[in-house]
Amino acid sequence: MFGFTLVRREQQIRGGQALAFAVGFVLAMIIGAVLLLVAGHDPVSIYAKMADKSIGSPQAWSTTLTQAVPLGLAGLAVAVAGSMGLWNIGAEGQIIAGAIAGSWVARLGPDLPGPMLITLMLVASVVGGGLLALGPALARAHLGVNEIISTLMLNEVAIRIVRYLVNGPWKDPTATGFPVAPELPEQAELPTLFERANIGVLIAGVVLLAFGFFAARSKWGYELRVAGSSAKTAEYVGISLKAKILTVLVLSGAIAGLAGGIRLGSASRIVEGIAEGWGFAGIIVAALALMRPANVVLVAIAFGAVRVGGVAIKGEGVPASIADIIQALILLGALGAAVFTSYTLTRRGAAS
Amino acid sequence: MNEETLIGLFVSVIEFGTLLYLAALGETIAEKSGVLNLGVEGMIAVGGMSAYWVGVETGNPWLAALFAALAVAAFASLHGLVAVVLGADQVVSGLALTILGLGLAAFLGKDLVLQPPGATFGDLEIPGLSSIPWLGDTIFSMSAMSWLAAALGVIAWLVLSRTRAGLSLRAVGESAATADAAGTRVVGIRLMAVAIGGAFAGLAGAYLTLKLAPGWNEGAVGGLGWIAVALVIFGAWKPGRVLLGALLFGGLLALGPRLQTFRCRGEVGEGTCLSYEINPIIVSMLPYLLTIGVLVLISIRSRNRPSVAPAAIGLAYRREER
Repeated sequence: MFGFTLVRREQQIRGGQALAFAVGFVLAMIIGAVLLLVAGHDPVSIYAKMADKSIGSPQAWSTTLTQAVPLGLAGLAVAVAGSMGLWNIGAEGQIIAGAIAGSWVARLGPDLPGPMLITLMLVASVVGGGLLALGPALARAHLGVNEIISTLMLNEVAIRIVRYLVNGPWKDPTATGFPVAPELPEQAELPTLFERANIGVLIAGVVLLAFGFFAARSKWGYELRVAGSSAKTAEYVGISLKAKILTVLVLSGAIAGLAGGIRLGSASRIVEGIAEGWGFAGIIVAALALMRPANVVLVAIAFGAVRVGGVAIKGEGVPASIADIIQALILLGALGAAVFTSYTLTRRGAAS
Repeated sequence: MNEETLIGLFVSVIEFGTLLYLAALGETIAEKSGVLNLGVEGMIAVGGMSAYWVGVETGNPWLAALFAALAVAAFASLHGLVAVVLGADQVVSGLALTILGLGLAAFLGKDLVLQPPGATFGDLEIPGLSSIPWLGDTIFSMSAMSWLAAALGVIAWLVLSRTRAGLSLRAVGESAATADAAGTRVVGIRLMAVAIGGAFAGLAGAYLTLKLAPGWNEGAVGGLGWIAVALVIFGAWKPGRVLLGALLFGGLLALGPRLQTFRCRGEVGEGTCLSYEINPIIVSMLPYLLTIGVLVLISIRSRNRPSVAPAAIGLAYRREER
């Protein structure tokens, strides 16, 4: 194009992804500022307020970490599948499935003591998320059905299942306005960790660290990466691809399901929008983290801050959708910039 | 069920079908060139919001649709830049386009939410033909946009299967390296296909906010874009079959909210009654479940045959890696 061509660099730029992220971030901030200006706001004061409300105090950090929990778990879910070259686009639906399964348990045993009820709810949410991924996993492993589309379609199915439940069988007859399910028993709420953050932060942190360690050090993680980089090599060395695909996709769904369980334990009741777009954002998080669990933590916290900031400026008359815009722009900017860590722009003809 | 409700149903099928077909046809063209664009949901949102805005400002629905088509073609080209020119992952880039599009449409369309529509597409009653029973009240009274969608479908089919340009586009989608070796401009064709796909999604958005459900709010698209993505697979990347799929899925969407009216009334004989209630929300899941079912069927059938999907779909092309 235009006399220029992309040529592969002899060596990748070191720390290229961090650089790409920074480029994406700056680009997103600039375009965001232009949008804010067009809408008649002062970008500097809006950004200052976003930063203050998301990272400016311990309380701000507690809300940011709370947001980072579903982002990190959804990101991990996508990353686990992604490290094998599979796409789980269904985290959004799996979060919902996890929340549904969790509420189901809470409805069955409303009188159970708190710790037991919470444990059962979280286990159920893991199972629920895994179950929603089971179909696509089986279809992919045994029939080669494209998991991108099947998981994507199940998002819409899950959205409608929860809509059906809160409009029908689970509808709270006493609630006015939006249809919602009745509140869960009080002891189902996750205990507070600090300020506004509950132990969900701890659970997600442990899960993320465990996977980071496991994926990097274990035979299982190694086999995953081998299978991801070359299916033929994997089969040659005796890795069962079918079993791998099945376990990885179900595991991926289960992790996203856990995010749904934690959200349920923080939200007191299940509502239609329980997944709040975290599943889709998780895909962005995983992509920016290059499918590495350790990076997922960092990106999830950064995105958590952006989302908290987005909600905080609603009072100024700025729609919270600015947060979605910034997240998507960071990704697009970083995706574009990342190409230049392995490629360089050269005038056509000069390269050969 | 009387004639009136049945005609109302058919009209609704055509309306949903028109929107789905416009968006799915655009996605078919993009995918035929080897570019998967999961940004359809966001593209329809941008198209719907911008068309509604121009409608409010000018009162002219056609100007609004034209603007939406051009705006979304430009917006889709962002995916073209990132995924085609720079060769980043198509899945991630497309999803980012959806999130960006939904966000932008919500942000920029904030003040449009309470505005009454400035323009809508009317029904095009064709003189003479519109008095034919059944057909007259449905096909021969449908909006000019529906005729446009049908015409675009025919044109897309002709161009893809009968012309040199169409052959080049399909070649790029099957094997970019081979097409490149034969002198075809891979990147240029893919960019064009993505932009055309965007323009069609823009028209779908205009149809949504100026005809199907006049008005704008940030939840307006509500998953229709994902159905369009599904339709391309359902229709095996063929404009004709995609049309059938659009009418079928449009039928399911139209049927959902009407199921209540079909329920048993006193005057209907006991034997013909539906003794149970079909929940419209459950029906609205069917397009998505059907698509998965079709995917499974395609996979089973194509085990011993070449796949119907464009072979190079999802693969970035960089000349150096030839």
